[in-house]
Amino acid sequence: MDNGEPAPSYEGNAASYAKAKAEKEQQESQGLKPTTNDAAAAKKQSEIQFKAAHGLLVAFFSLILVLQLLGIYLFTSGFLLTRFTFDYKSECAIPPANTSARANTAGTSERGCWHPKTFDKAIVILIDALRYDFTVPLPAEGSDEKPHHFHNAFPILYETAVEHPRNAFLLPFIADAPTATMQRLKGLTTGTLPAFVDAGSNFAGTAIEEDNLISQLKNASKRIVHLGDDTWHALFPDHFEPELTRPYDSFNVWDLHTVDNGVTDHVFPLMHASNTSKWDVVIGHYLGVDHAGHRYGPDHSAMAAKLRQMDDIIRRMIEQLDDSTLLVVMGDHGMDAKGDHGGESDDEIQAALWMYSKQERFGRSSPVFNTPPATAKERPVAQIDLVPTLSLLLGMPIPFNNLGKPIEEAFIGTKGIDYENLAIVNRLTSAQIHRYQQEYASVQSMDEAARAASLMSYKHANEAWDSTGAKSKSEEYARVYGMYQTYQQETLDICKAMWASFDVPRMLNGVTILTFSLIMLAVYARGLTGDLSELSPVLLSRGGTGTVLGALLGFGVSSAVPEIPNQHAIIYAAAIFGNLGIASAFWYLRRRLASVLPNSIWGYLSIIFTLLLSVGFAANSFTIWEDEILLHFLSTFGFLSALSSLRQPKTTDRVLGIYHSILFVILTRLASLSRLCREEQMPFCKSTYYASATSSTSATWQLAIPFVVALLLPTFIRGYYEGTLSYQNSAVMWLGFGLRFGLLLSAAYWALDAADDGGWYPGFGGMLKTSKTVIAQLTLAIAVGVGYPTFTWAKPLLNIEEGKSHTPHPSKQILPSDGRSSIAILGYNNVHGSRYALLITIWYLATALLQKPMGAGALALCCWQIFSLLEIVATNHLSHSSIGPVVLGLLGSFHFFKTGHQAALSSIQWESAFIPLHTIRYPWSPLLIVLNTFGAQILCAVAVPALVLWKQPPKKGGLLGDVARATATHVLFYATVNLATTMWAGHLRRHLMLYRIFSPRFMMGALVLVIVDVVAIFVAVGGSRMSFLSVGEVFGVA
Amino acid sequence: MATVLASHPKPRAPAHPTDVLPTDTAQLYTHIHPILVLSLYALQFPSIVADPVPALARALIPLSILQIVYVAICLPPTGGTATPVVDKKKAGGGGGGAEKGKKGGVRGTIIPGFLSLIVASTITAPLLAAILVLFGAPLTTHHAHTLLAAAHISFLGTLPLVYVHGVDGAAWRDIIALLRPVDEVYGGMIGGVVGAWLGAVPIPLDWDREWQKWPVTIVTGAYVGWAVGKMVGGVVLKGRKIVLE
Repeated sequence: MDNGEPAPSYEGNAASYAKAKAEKEQQESQGLKPTTNDAAAAKKQSEIQFKAAHGLLVAFFSLILVLQLLGIYLFTSGFLLTRFTFDYKSECAIPPANTSARANTAGTSERGCWHPKTFDKAIVILIDALRYDFTVPLPAEGSDEKPHHFHNAFPILYETAVEHPRNAFLLPFIADAPTATMQRLKGLTTGTLPAFVDAGSNFAGTAIEEDNLISQLKNASKRIVHLGDDTWHALFPDHFEPELTRPYDSFNVWDLHTVDNGVTDHVFPLMHASNTSKWDVVIGHYLGVDHAGHRYGPDHSAMAAKLRQMDDIIRRMIEQLDDSTLLVVMGDHGMDAKGDHGGESDDEIQAALWMYSKQERFGRSSPVFNTPPATAKERPVAQIDLVPTLSLLLGMPIPFNNLGKPIEEAFIGTKGIDYENLAIVNRLTSAQIHRYQQEYASVQSMDEAARAASLMSYKHANEAWDSTGAKSKSEEYARVYGMYQTYQQETLDICKAMWASFDVPRMLNGVTILTFSLIMLAVYARGLTGDLSELSPVLLSRGGTGTVLGALLGFGVSSAVPEIPNQHAIIYAAAIFGNLGIASAFWYLRRRLASVLPNSIWGYLSIIFTLLLSVGFAANSFTIWEDEILLHFLSTFGFLSALSSLRQPKTTDRVLGIYHSILFVILTRLASLSRLCREEQMPFCKSTYYASATSSTSATWQLAIPFVVALLLPTFIRGYYEGTLSYQNSAVMWLGFGLRFGLLLSAAYWALDAADDGGWYPGFGGMLKTSKTVIAQLTLAIAVGVGYPTFTWAKPLLNIEEGKSHTPHPSKQILPSDGRSSIAILGYNNVHGSRYALLITIWYLATALLQKPMGAGALALCCWQIFSLLEIVATNHLSHSSIGPVVLGLLGSFHFFKTGHQAALSSIQWESAFIPLHTIRYPWSPLLIVLNTFGAQILCAVAVPALVLWKQPPKKGGLLGDVARATATHVLFYATVNLATTMWAGHLRRHLMLYRIFSPRFMMGALVLVIVDVVAIFVAVGGSRMSFLSVGEVFGVA
Repeated sequence: MATVLASHPKPRAPAHPTDVLPTDTAQLYTHIHPILVLSLYALQFPSIVADPVPALARALIPLSILQIVYVAICLPPTGGTATPVVDKKKAGGGGGGAEKGKKGGVRGTIIPGFLSLIVASTITAPLLAAILVLFGAPLTTHHAHTLLAAAHISFLGTLPLVYVHGVDGAAWRDIIALLRPVDEVYGGMIGGVVGAWLGAVPIPLDWDREWQKWPVTIVTGAYVGWAVGKMVGGVVLKGRKIVLE
């Protein structure tokens, strides 16, 4: 309250009394200190001191954020290999290079687009996990190695290749890691290498948007029939002939026969002469060998039986094949000694490829090669080589992104001397690769030296081609062929370095920075005694100086030693020296250092929760079931807090504590009923978030949830305020009216949205669309435009009661006044907490609008739980313990799942960007998606300062330091989770489940840390400034 | 879960740890008992894994018999203290005395044992089942599974406690608030609960084992935790108080 500003009489009374009291106390406490006599000036001074301390604290937290960001960036840049994808498609009519008259087909798919086709039709049989050594006889005749079950059970491929080399060939077929079926199918159809993030137009879906062989066939009006593993349908939706296609579920690895029998039952009728006109390409995907491997391992009689069954099937196919059809049998990857796959060991990447034709089409460059290689180390071809080979054999254009090369055996001619043809197909392939690389160089920087060398090779190869003529000899073409091959290999190497090899030093240094920052944060949060807020100057100056010096040092060293990459060195040195600076500040403050280890069960519990969760992320199961683990932990906390409350000596503490503990546990369980299951949780999980498991719209009954929330939540929160008689002034206006009105609007939005989606009022669609957007904008306007000003300028939630007698109440501060009557200050006991907690409700309103109705309900429970947690912490005297901030971290993570999210890219609710907007607008659209996705973590981070402010005496000193400690502890929880997920993702970078589980969890961990950091620093610690200053107006700034 | 320190600064009420009756049989049987219970459980384990509900229900019968035998032989019943019983036995001596003791035993020990069984199955078992649900047990399915798991935990942990402390509200408040000094009965209960908590850990793992199904791991954890807690509470930490703060 500024001097001269008129105030309502009750406020004036209470305030002036309290002001006088505070003034007196201040003078007393300062004692002999030289100070001004003017109370207003003294107050002004302490206010300035507070603002300075607060500003420095925010700056120090920002420094921690910067250090964490540097660590995350360094790790991510070495780990998240990004490949950009293009929408460009190769076109039949536009070959990438001119070829000789012999090959000119005028760009029709009738005769072959870029090159005359060899076959009209094809049957592609994919035997999942067909390892190369399954198909060749026991290695090295006469060797004393004993045959295993998987040996010699599938001889047909080898026999045909040896006996009829012009009809068939068998080669080792090398996969690129990760050797998981989905990534393999991408490689086998697009000819690209797998990377972590395929950044393209469609980020969330699984469907392949890039140019690929299947969509080229589809574009050319070829009819494709698919039988077997349904992964194909996720990748190529609507590409297959619906009447003839038979997809089968691929997940049940215990079932060895259903898929295989399904494929077999349907493939032979298709091969019958009466049916061959109904299709152009048949893709049959057998899973039995893979499942036998997973279940029994390769060296088991079940595997031998499975392979013999495959042998029999292929023999029958050979019999029934017609003359114009190509038969391809291949594996997409191998399997390790235990029958599993996913990594990049030899056994996992060595698959087999066999092609067969009734007509003589194939050849060998040397008769020695008629016998297929004895091991996969000899004459292997890459899996991506299938793409140009099959494209050209079937007369299709080579897909735009392809990096593979044509397989020699398929184009060299039956005599094995047609180098002209080989030169032509390689010229076409190289030209397409060149076209792709030109595009790619414009979006991602490549290794310039290597790229220049490859461009030179391309130029030389083209020159050599131009020098050939009609009378050129086979040797000349062989030379051209070789030169094009060199170019292809060089390009592939560049791309592999860019997409497929992790930068391990960067990853390790990133983890080092994160670990170091985590230790500093832990010492700051739990290892320092006294008021933390007064330590900011030394921590900030030393940490900041260290960072700058480190950056300069890194720049100097990397400039002096050219082998050291510039950016890497600067980041690493800056972060390490920044941490060292903070460490030196700790050394300077060593008298105030205390053990970081906890001194109570609550401290141990915080550590146990955090560490168990972090260790669990090393296992895919614990990562998948994170929501259930969090439920378990939160219930454990509530259970123990109930026990602890029973031990409290004061009855009010005991009763309140037990009540809120039980409430906390029940609300946790209630919230747990809202679930959106991830694929891996099936069939043990039932989604309830939407109307059904396959829909992403809310059920009609769910529309009632936001209305119920609007009616009840403000009332419940009011209850928490009334306990300390704090439901006064602005709280009445905001909780009683503003918040409720905003929540009602948000509920109305979702009702209108459902009406719009469901077309309930045909003819009013446009009106519904407009009005719902306006309502959404209005809701956000209430949060930002009414809530925030209320929070910023509201007086403390106090009131006074004058009169003779007062009913005793713990929250009434009764002051005698001139003997006859007395004054009671209402809301005295929770002046800090009640004032700050308004911020939580403001953020609830903003985040709840952006959740689906079920999510708004879950988030309301979260908000309610936060208030119960505040009571639990206050009644059990835990405001200095680490348990409060850690439980808020658990609660935020838990409600992340309860608001319909999972640690998977597919669960991002992109449509939430369009709740208050019609079009995508930066920066608002990404911000809205962040508020939707991480709303729960944000809400809980906002609540952290309330833990140490709830029910604290108005004049208690060092509260800003307590806020700093609680915030640091909260961030510490997320930093630990982030470090753990980062380390596991880096360590398990060749794990089968990396793409599906570990990598998304790592990305989420890093994102959540950064978001919580920002919210904790600027919203929570930042917001506590308004709250402190407001209380300080009355009681003096502590 | 709890930090155990040497002593509590201010005991709210004079509470003493429960001593095992000082007869030779009691002193011996209290150590044999957990071995018997665990062996019996191990024996039934395959059938519990195969079909939890009937097997767990069947297993309750021998468990309750063993527990009643245990409390009757080893523990002082509620209301009475250990000393008079001992005196009687010591004073009696010889065959006649033993007969007398036995007779008094049926009335003084077996009947409270049965009463404890009734309390453990009708009051604490449903309560524990509710707590299991709150901790994440299926809400709409597997009710029999959850209830039987709770019954096992209840028979193991709370039956002896009821036998020793009766249904005295103040005593039970102290028990729940972890304010009583540790002894083998109390330790068994705490151990059983902690064991059941830890038993939830292997459930989500993708090992595809039959025994991972609900509630096998919880029950197994409770048995092992109970045996460990009983031993630790009765021998190592006897008489100490649990400090949370």
